[in-house]
Amino acid sequence: MVRHPGGPGVKNVLLLEDLPETRAWLKALVLQVFPDSHIFEAARVHGALELVASMKVDLALIDLGLPDGSGVDVVAAIREAHPQAQSVVVTIHDDDDHLFPALQAGAFGYLLKEQASELIAEQLKRMSQGEPPLSPSIARRVISHFASQTQPQERPQNMPHVALTDRENEVLLRVAKGFTLPEIGVQLCLSRHTIADYVKQIYRKLNVSSRAEAALEAQRLGLFRR
Amino acid sequence: MRARRLTPALTHGVRALGLLLLGAILVALALADEAPVVDESILRIDTAEATAAGDARSQTITLPDDWAVSRPRFDGDVRYRMRFDRPAVTPTDGLLALYIERVCSNLEIDLNQRRIFSGGRMTEPVAMNCRHPQLITLPAALLEAQGNVLDIRVTGNALQHVASREFAGGLSALQIGPRETLAVDHARRTFWNVTWLQLTAMMLAVGGVLMLVLTAYNPREVYFGYFGGLCLAWAFLSLRLWVPYLPWGHVVTEYLFCIGLASLVMMSVQFLLSYAGLRSRAIETVLVVQWFLVPLTLIVGGETRLFAVATIWYVLFCAELLVAAGLYLGFTRRERNHDYWPMAGVLGASSLLVLIELGAQHDLYPWLQQVLPWPTLSFLLPLPFLIVGVRLFLLFARALRTAEHGRAALARRVRELTTEFEGNFSQLAELRVEQVTEKERKRIAADLHDDLGAKLLTIVHTSESQRISALAREALEDMRLSVKGLIGKPMRLADALADWRAETVARLSQSKVEVDWLSPIEETEHLLPSRGFVQTTRIVRESVSNIIKHSGATRCSVRCRIADGYFAMTIQDNGRGIPMELDGKLDGGLGMSNMKRRAKQMRGQCLVQSGPGYGTVIALTVPL
Repeated sequence: MVRHPGGPGVKNVLLLEDLPETRAWLKALVLQVFPDSHIFEAARVHGALELVASMKVDLALIDLGLPDGSGVDVVAAIREAHPQAQSVVVTIHDDDDHLFPALQAGAFGYLLKEQASELIAEQLKRMSQGEPPLSPSIARRVISHFASQTQPQERPQNMPHVALTDRENEVLLRVAKGFTLPEIGVQLCLSRHTIADYVKQIYRKLNVSSRAEAALEAQRLGLFRR
Repeated sequence: MRARRLTPALTHGVRALGLLLLGAILVALALADEAPVVDESILRIDTAEATAAGDARSQTITLPDDWAVSRPRFDGDVRYRMRFDRPAVTPTDGLLALYIERVCSNLEIDLNQRRIFSGGRMTEPVAMNCRHPQLITLPAALLEAQGNVLDIRVTGNALQHVASREFAGGLSALQIGPRETLAVDHARRTFWNVTWLQLTAMMLAVGGVLMLVLTAYNPREVYFGYFGGLCLAWAFLSLRLWVPYLPWGHVVTEYLFCIGLASLVMMSVQFLLSYAGLRSRAIETVLVVQWFLVPLTLIVGGETRLFAVATIWYVLFCAELLVAAGLYLGFTRRERNHDYWPMAGVLGASSLLVLIELGAQHDLYPWLQQVLPWPTLSFLLPLPFLIVGVRLFLLFARALRTAEHGRAALARRVRELTTEFEGNFSQLAELRVEQVTEKERKRIAADLHDDLGAKLLTIVHTSESQRISALAREALEDMRLSVKGLIGKPMRLADALADWRAETVARLSQSKVEVDWLSPIEETEHLLPSRGFVQTTRIVRESVSNIIKHSGATRCSVRCRIADGYFAMTIQDNGRGIPMELDGKLDGGLGMSNMKRRAKQMRGQCLVQSGPGYGTVIALTVPL
């Protein structure tokens, strides 16, 4: 059973953004969606990592391009320290070259900064309710990621082999072809929540598989001792 | 490969030479077979009264008179007196002649006390006519019908005082008969005894010089040089045939002959060894020392023991040659060289010849003289040299050809490599330029996002005015698309279609416009350049914006197809169309003209049809 965070569960929100105006705007936005939440602000990766280490995080809005590093590291740290927390990438970059690494690191979705506040608020609400977005280009990246994983050559025993289910694949393929999630729900006779669950599973598996891959790669490079 | 194909040619060459040699021998045998036919018209004289100089007594002897047998150790003149009656036959040209098969070293002839012939000087240095058969016309005026007296004065050397039996004194049987009949025998004998040897010597001399030149240019192929020396040594030995008498005494000539022979052996041994690739300093030194020892021992041994000392050397030479030949053959056999059989044949035959010749020096097998039509087999000796020479030339030609082919192949390879290298280099340069450009584009893109993007974003979220906020948002989107056009990679048309579809459907659905999207080209492999993708995205986006903002449509249908290298997209709505008053004005007009301009930039076109009541149709065509 997948937990649906958000709503009453959202207590502590981490906000990582270097531009003060944007940070203020985002803070207002978050307070609008989750009036009861506590917001912890950070302008640098360093500060964000300290916050991640010292407090419990339920939701994190993370900018990617920061003066002292990449938000992806913070996403990974949150994934490590607070598996139940939701990391959402808030960025000006809409291309999957920037987004995909963050998704692999464990981000649960992404918001484009220039969108209207109402739209962002709506998306944030949906994500917190467990309905992450998925664009065709991200779907294609996920497909090729899993396609390169399918051959189980020399995979160590302790490495989990993560594979998508047929249904998840089906959803992914349809997204890649340009169908929207509601359309796919209609095509497959599935409810909006079920489709959302599939997408969440896809994100989760992408993260697990990516970490397994990273570990494997590190082992191959001799960083681990067996 | 080429070399392999040439090897049979070589074998053929050697085989052909062998056949030629065999043919020559057979022809000679056939000619020789006619010789013993007893001609009634020919008078044979085989007894004579011989008087040696310094001895008053005369004795009757039988011809041929071999001094080595009849008067050992005798040097000087012997007078032979014979009486004969004029043969009864009358030759057609009226000329009678005396034919002497062999006389050594020289002779003078008196007929009825009149001098009719002299072969040259009778005192040292004596003219050397040992190999030349003599045919002397008998003057008819001096001939009596009966009781003619023939005086032949022969000057010669004892066998012991010459280096080779064929230069020992002696006189063969005489024949008197019609000149024309005897001339045939004389010509044949002269050919085999003299002309043939002169010819081969000449050929070998020329070949030898060529070989030496070859070695001068290819110092590594030293065996060519040794073979050239061998040929020249043989030519030197044959010098006696050209000059009837030399300006020094016969003893010096014998020394020179032996030195020539030593050179020949030295060269032969060196040739065989170097040809097999077995060179040894020690053997070379020994051969050079031997070359000096030969004349030294001959001089020390003295004139009287010349033949004995020479014989020792001959035996030694033979042994050396046999050992060298054995070494050579052993080596070639071990190397499985294609040289083995031809060279084995040639060397075997030459060894046999040399042994026969050595035996003949000591008259070991007089029976052979009976069987063979020639006095010696020496005329066969140059043949192996000729065969090996031809073989060497063939080998050289082959090597030349192989080298030529190798050179051509090398040149080809170098050309290929150069082309490849140039290709690689230009590829590398291109790649480098691409990398640098890519890096620079990424930097520009990052700068744009960080600076311009951040500022626009601030405007979007802080502006009081809805309109400015919207404009800034559009500017941000435009910037992003521009950056994508700047750094993006070519995109699969199918992927681009998916992106457009997702965006269009999401936006229109949100605005409660029903969408009917048909693109039956999902699986196309066509690529769209990133600029084309960006421009088309803008056109599609603008069209959708127009529908949402202005048309009031409830339905929209999109059709895509590929035909004749063109990608075509039609977006049709059921809205109110573009109002007349908006056409050409800032808002709607600019949007439309921007779409058209962008289509044009892609060398495509964008047609807008609109009319009140039937909505708007935007038809975009882009070449692929």
